[in-house]
Amino acid sequence: MTLDFLPQLPFAFSQPVLFGALLVLGLLAGEAVRRYAALPRITGYVLAGVLLGPQASNLLSADALLDARLLVDLSIGLIVFELGFRLDFGWLRRNPWLLVTALAESLLCFWSIYATLAYFGFRPLLAAAAAAIGTATSPAVVMVVAQELRAQGQVTERMLLFTAVNSIFAYLALTLLLPFLYFEQASGWQDALLHPLYLLAGSVLTGFAASVLMLRLAGWIGQREEGQFVLLVATVVLTVGVAHSLNLSVLAALITLGMLARNLDRGHVLLPLRFGHGGQLFFVILFVLTGASLEFEALGVAAAVAAAFIVMRFLGKALALLAFGRLSGIRPGGAGLLAVALLPMSGLAVVMVQDTALFYPSFGRELADVVLSAVAVLELLGPLATQFALRRAGEAHPDG
Amino acid sequence: MADASDEMSFRPSPQASLGIELELQLVRPHDLDLSRDAADLLARLGRRKLPGAVKPEITESMIELNSSVHSGCSGLLAELEAMRAAVVEEAGVLNLRISGGGSHPFHDWAERRIFPNERFRAIVERYGYLAKQFTVFGQHIHVGCPGGDEAVYLTHMLTRYVPHFIALSAASPFYQGEDTSFQSSRLTAVSAFPLAGHMPFVADWAQFGEYFARMKGFGIVSSMKDFYWDIRPKPEYGTVEIRVCDTPLTVRRAALLAAYAQALAAHHLAERSLQPARSVYLVNGFNRFEACRFGIAGELVEPYSGTRKKIGEDILESIARVAPQAAPLGCGEALEELAAMVRVGQSDAAWLRARHGARGSLADVVRDACARWETPG
Repeated sequence: MTLDFLPQLPFAFSQPVLFGALLVLGLLAGEAVRRYAALPRITGYVLAGVLLGPQASNLLSADALLDARLLVDLSIGLIVFELGFRLDFGWLRRNPWLLVTALAESLLCFWSIYATLAYFGFRPLLAAAAAAIGTATSPAVVMVVAQELRAQGQVTERMLLFTAVNSIFAYLALTLLLPFLYFEQASGWQDALLHPLYLLAGSVLTGFAASVLMLRLAGWIGQREEGQFVLLVATVVLTVGVAHSLNLSVLAALITLGMLARNLDRGHVLLPLRFGHGGQLFFVILFVLTGASLEFEALGVAAAVAAAFIVMRFLGKALALLAFGRLSGIRPGGAGLLAVALLPMSGLAVVMVQDTALFYPSFGRELADVVLSAVAVLELLGPLATQFALRRAGEAHPDG
Repeated sequence: MADASDEMSFRPSPQASLGIELELQLVRPHDLDLSRDAADLLARLGRRKLPGAVKPEITESMIELNSSVHSGCSGLLAELEAMRAAVVEEAGVLNLRISGGGSHPFHDWAERRIFPNERFRAIVERYGYLAKQFTVFGQHIHVGCPGGDEAVYLTHMLTRYVPHFIALSAASPFYQGEDTSFQSSRLTAVSAFPLAGHMPFVADWAQFGEYFARMKGFGIVSSMKDFYWDIRPKPEYGTVEIRVCDTPLTVRRAALLAAYAQALAAHHLAERSLQPARSVYLVNGFNRFEACRFGIAGELVEPYSGTRKKIGEDILESIARVAPQAAPLGCGEALEELAAMVRVGQSDAAWLRARHGARGSLADVVRDACARWETPG
């Protein structure tokens, strides 16, 4: 008897096992915090990630996280696609103050973080890059919390709209800072100019091409929900893959795809978007992996900076919203709640830091220290803030 | 709280004066389902100077336009048009769309949220899920009466025309995502209420007052508002209120329906040629069903002669009969326009079905209905 048919020890678990276990643990943690602490499920997913990640048990090692990057991109891709799909140019046309408010929110928030970091003595380029990343609200968090609470109403709609605008703003600002990074590293001016140009034009074109493809095919498939659902997921996955292979921005390509699919659809061939339970799967993955990527060491050293970063970021957003909120037609009290709802920072910020680090490792390291300690705090506070704001605004479903 | 006698004293109003209430759908553009922004929209409209009034309704997905009192339908139409434009403009700021029609084709009633005020909360407490299912959209037409006895008489007279108003306004063929095969499915939601139906067969205002006092004594009702009848006297306004119409897809049709009600009232109050008859209520259930199910193509039993004919045909005969009273009121042209629609079989329900046929999805039907409501004129 050789028992050769039995597996060798130690067991070499394949990716699916790890992946499945990650989902199950995330799910359980999400349910647990919801049931026993009345916290948003996201908080549980993130905690599961922290426990699995290099900071704690190291079941998800730093290498495993790097391998999982495509999964993160796919999840973020789906989320920003849906966010872009909700961005209605018609609304901005009918209510121009809304666009003014959204731009003011981004600008003031950027400036406020930048000034804070400059005050703490960070050099301008680092401060600007961190401020750009900090301007973005986490699309995933606001969308998941809104979905979980079944929130509907003006604060919810504006929260999604402003998140789309400040995410685009953050991406553009970060990309426009690239030439300065090249100069700092004393590279040639050709690279300095061509890289951001390639990123922007390439990502937008990819998104545009994908939207045209999606609309054409949807027109041919017709108004069949199952058919359109598969088409939607397929186009999103394809676009994420293409952006990934071409070193383009997944965020820019997918938000472009979402916006154009919605706003170029003159003949209304696309059915209203419903990812349903399928979307939930990607949310769990994203938040567990983001949780695993959190770093807490820097937090001890830079606690004061992180605290100032978070407070000034909030004040920047709040000031702009309070100044312009009424003009954009929000009810009294709505602007303040909106500022609170826009607090979350999460996976998108992590990805932006990682992308920068890919090309400029040392700069990326410095950036990570500043940004990721704020993310670590807001990852846990953000969902609570959004949940509080939407409930307080009376927009959460009574059973949500 | 006013006592029963105060509440039941009939405030006379000019004979055949006119006013309407229109319940409208608030739609969110991104998936064309019902939205819940009534409070925000009402707050914005509250800051504008509007000719009529705008009010909340049972769920947060609805608002109600109330016209002021008019002597003729052209003034009413001008006012409705001004209100329509204002509502559409303010809705645009909030990224909402507005639609007419008696039902939202695919909303899920369980998702609706009750508008937060005392009266609506009490209705939910009492009626449970019926309250949320009551997210249907109707037009109520008020016709002025000089006194309570006239109001009772007119209520009996107008009951004969209930199938007319149902067929002419029918605009709720789809409900909960399905084609109901009805022209108006909305009235089924109303019928579920225990105090739905019609006024009892009383002879005058004094008898009606006795009936009301008994019902109040039993603790079954506390005010006239508790009766969900198809047609009811409304003593505080001094009117008879017709409540069977779906909200049409355009303000124009809403004004035409009001003109027809006004002409009928003027005719019956002037001629007094018929006496209230129990046979009207004998055939009412059948006629009402035929109108909901088949619209103007349905059949009705004429209660006084007992003959059976097409509802559309009966409408045309009735329009011809009231024409002499319609002309001095200035609503002759309106009645002709209505008759022309009946002759070619044009209805809002048919329009909605045609859009569904052409576009293939109920979301597109909602989008087209919104575009129709939002178009001036």
